Amino acid sequence: MTAPGSSSDQVGGAATVVPAVDPVDDTTRAVALRLAASGHADASVQQRVVHAMLEAGASCRPADVIAALHDHVGPDTDTSIARLHTRLRALGGRLIIVGDRDYPPHLADAWPELGAPLWLFAAGAHVPGDRRPTVAVVGTRRPTADGLTTARGLSLALADAGVTVVSGMARGIDQAAHRGAVDGGGATVAVLGTGLGVDYPTGSSRLRAAVASSGALLTELPPGAAPRPWHFLARNRIISGLATATVVVEGRDRSGALQTARLAGGQGRDVWAVPGSINAPASAAPLALLRDGATPVTGIDDFVAAVCDTLPGPAAEVAPRGITGLSPSAAVVYDLIGAVPATTDALVSTSRLPAHAVLAAVAELVDRGAGVMTPHGIVRRQTATADAGGGRVASVSVAGSTGMRPPQW
Amino acid sequence: MPSGSEPVVGVARSVALVGLRAVDVTVEVSISAGLPCFSLIGTTGTAGRQAGERVRAALHATGIRLPSRKILASLAPADVPTSGARFDLALAAALLVRLGAVASSALTDAAFLGELALDGTVRAVSGVLPAAAHLAAAGVDRLFVADDNVREASLASGIGVIAVGDLSELLAILDGAAHPRALPARPPPAAADVADLADVRGQAEARRALEIAAAGGHHLLLLGPPGCGKSMLAARLVGVLPSLTEQAALELTAIRSVAGLLAGTAPITLDRTPPLRAPHHATTAAALLGGGGGVARPGEISLATHGVLFMDELFEWPRRLLDALREPLEQGTVRIARAQATVCYPAAFQLVCAANPCPCGGAGTCDCTDAEVWTYRRRLSGPLADRIDLAPRLSALEAGHLVDATPGEPSHTVAARVRTAREVARERWGVVNRLASAEPVRATARPAALRTLGRAVESGALSGRGFDRALRVARTCADLAGDDQVDREHVLEALAHRAALRAARVAR
Repeated sequence: MTAPGSSSDQVGGAATVVPAVDPVDDTTRAVALRLAASGHADASVQQRVVHAMLEAGASCRPADVIAALHDHVGPDTDTSIARLHTRLRALGGRLIIVGDRDYPPHLADAWPELGAPLWLFAAGAHVPGDRRPTVAVVGTRRPTADGLTTARGLSLALADAGVTVVSGMARGIDQAAHRGAVDGGGATVAVLGTGLGVDYPTGSSRLRAAVASSGALLTELPPGAAPRPWHFLARNRIISGLATATVVVEGRDRSGALQTARLAGGQGRDVWAVPGSINAPASAAPLALLRDGATPVTGIDDFVAAVCDTLPGPAAEVAPRGITGLSPSAAVVYDLIGAVPATTDALVSTSRLPAHAVLAAVAELVDRGAGVMTPHGIVRRQTATADAGGGRVASVSVAGSTGMRPPQW
Repeated sequence: MPSGSEPVVGVARSVALVGLRAVDVTVEVSISAGLPCFSLIGTTGTAGRQAGERVRAALHATGIRLPSRKILASLAPADVPTSGARFDLALAAALLVRLGAVASSALTDAAFLGELALDGTVRAVSGVLPAAAHLAAAGVDRLFVADDNVREASLASGIGVIAVGDLSELLAILDGAAHPRALPARPPPAAADVADLADVRGQAEARRALEIAAAGGHHLLLLGPPGCGKSMLAARLVGVLPSLTEQAALELTAIRSVAGLLAGTAPITLDRTPPLRAPHHATTAAALLGGGGGVARPGEISLATHGVLFMDELFEWPRRLLDALREPLEQGTVRIARAQATVCYPAAFQLVCAANPCPCGGAGTCDCTDAEVWTYRRRLSGPLADRIDLAPRLSALEAGHLVDATPGEPSHTVAARVRTAREVARERWGVVNRLASAEPVRATARPAALRTLGRAVESGALSGRGFDRALRVARTCADLAGDDQVDREHVLEALAHRAALRAARVAR
């Protein structure tokens, strides 16, 4: 397990950190803090001001942008800087401005044209401060069990390889990704659609705390800002900007994950998608991305190797891991199941086995860890490594990622 | 006509019912000097207190005038709830004795049950069958009832049932002037009109679950989209269950009698078809469990005893009603306390529930996530979920199935397998597998089968209670296959039948 920040040279791309832009002075910093805390200079205002400056041929040094924003929004002399500092300290947060040493370098690459925010509120132990590979694992808030398993498994493997996992703390895939990275002992960064100190999504406070202690919570919104739909759309450009690669696990045809991936493409980052069945609504987004040229995730190990830019290991095992010792009817049924849930009736009509044999076969596959029972029917367990003795199965579990236990039955 | 000496008190015998329990009631009438009135004591309820007026009018219509003196009638014992008009006929008989119109010896070993119309006609009352059975056991020879109660009363053996159309016929029979009418001969039992399983196309999983439910008495939950044939399948369970034993059929008929469902419509032979009751989810607690003022009447669950209670749209039922089913499901009886008495009715029904599989209904392209489905199924009441052992998922009906020429397996071949399996279970432990004790069932299982169940418990998929419940279902699967020992494949099948329920319970 690689501790974050300890061995960046191991994982490639250890470029010397050269601040692309100059840090701002303390006076400007105070102005920026007032602006950031007021919420008046939000993403859209920043974008307008920056575009106007670019068109006018002006240099977009952070200090200049802050000054322009100050003019645009109007002077604010009422807010006490000391009070703002106290408030931030209470939340364990601080303000990071483009050009600061701890402004994430990958995100700084997207400054100013590609949507990087002028500032970020950060709370947590490790704001990514070097150029190690960073991967955004994103997806739907309404995942399938398979999607959760995949997201968690990807993050676990990425964390194991020392890769920082970025996501959005939303229910479903996002939280499974954070949970996987935390459990893998790696660093993970959550970009919030709220301000710091807001309990959102409700019920995820423990996961947020775990993320803050292993990585960081980031947001461009002022402390206490409530969740609003447009916050999440704007937040997605930060997720994609923080990462060198974005992987979409599951998403429906107009999901936020799809938007994140398209933003990543626009920022010149790699886009990966986990292929799914054309019949699964939750796989619509990854399939659309694959059609548009995203790279398919063909296996967790391949993906991690590619992301870390290391040589692929020995030829990947292409044949599915064999499950031995199945009864004849269970073997027949095993060949018929896949990622899309199959009902008993469908298996009866395709296998031409009697109903009681199919039912026993389905339960045998679950018992052997070769299948997972979902409410819609049985699916093949992708990460199964069943032993021949019919014993327990060693496989990643989605427990805890969404507060749900894996439905083995 | 009058026999001369008038007794001081006229006495006639009748029967009160407290639930299904029959209690002897003695009706006494005396006439004494005093202001003219008809006073009735020892009765409860308005219909009882007004009996005097009905009897006076009915006697008047028959040509018998009551003297203008004080008439006192008493129902004894006074502490038995005696509401209703069922004692009218006994009152009239006692009065006839007191007036000297009938010899008191004519009422020896006779009992009376019936309500009087103002013109003297005798009307049917409820609960005649349990009353007749009680009287027969007590050695009473003759029971006088209304025409519409005759067939029901004669289901009890060992007692002569005499139909009286009106008071003048009663008078004539008691006086010896007329003979009782002959009872109509019993026609052969009509073939029960139960829908056949051959009508159900496809639905392999549900058909198999239905067969296991029938063979082992296990409770069943049918999960399927609207219109896929859940009600159709539930109605067909009755067709594969064996006919009721005489004792069970008599108990059920007595309940129907007390509920007042039999008057005039009772079959002449005992109905041995297992009952199917399908109350609506908007039904009241009193209608479902039994209730009503005074003495509670049997509800739907008692009318379904020895048969099937079908609860459609299970998730629409109020939680309160579902929880109230715990005691009946556990004990096979329901105890209802009301002002005048606490009664206990049989309620040994087999539960068949139906529900949509997921919040969207599950028809067509369902886009519910697994988590949404779990949340939805978690609404299944805990106590009820613990008692359901089979939860097959029905497929939406496809157009192909409608034109498919191959019919499903007909009810009678399934019923034959069910009968064999039930006989094996009865020989083994005297009851259906659902009611068998845990230890003896475990003793019939192979080690591999128990190990498989143990693994399911270890993985959290099965509760401790679920272990034995699943094993009993496996026992039924083995019985259907004709195997002495419960094998691994039977246990696996039992686990698969619970899969949809597990999804309801493991979440969170």
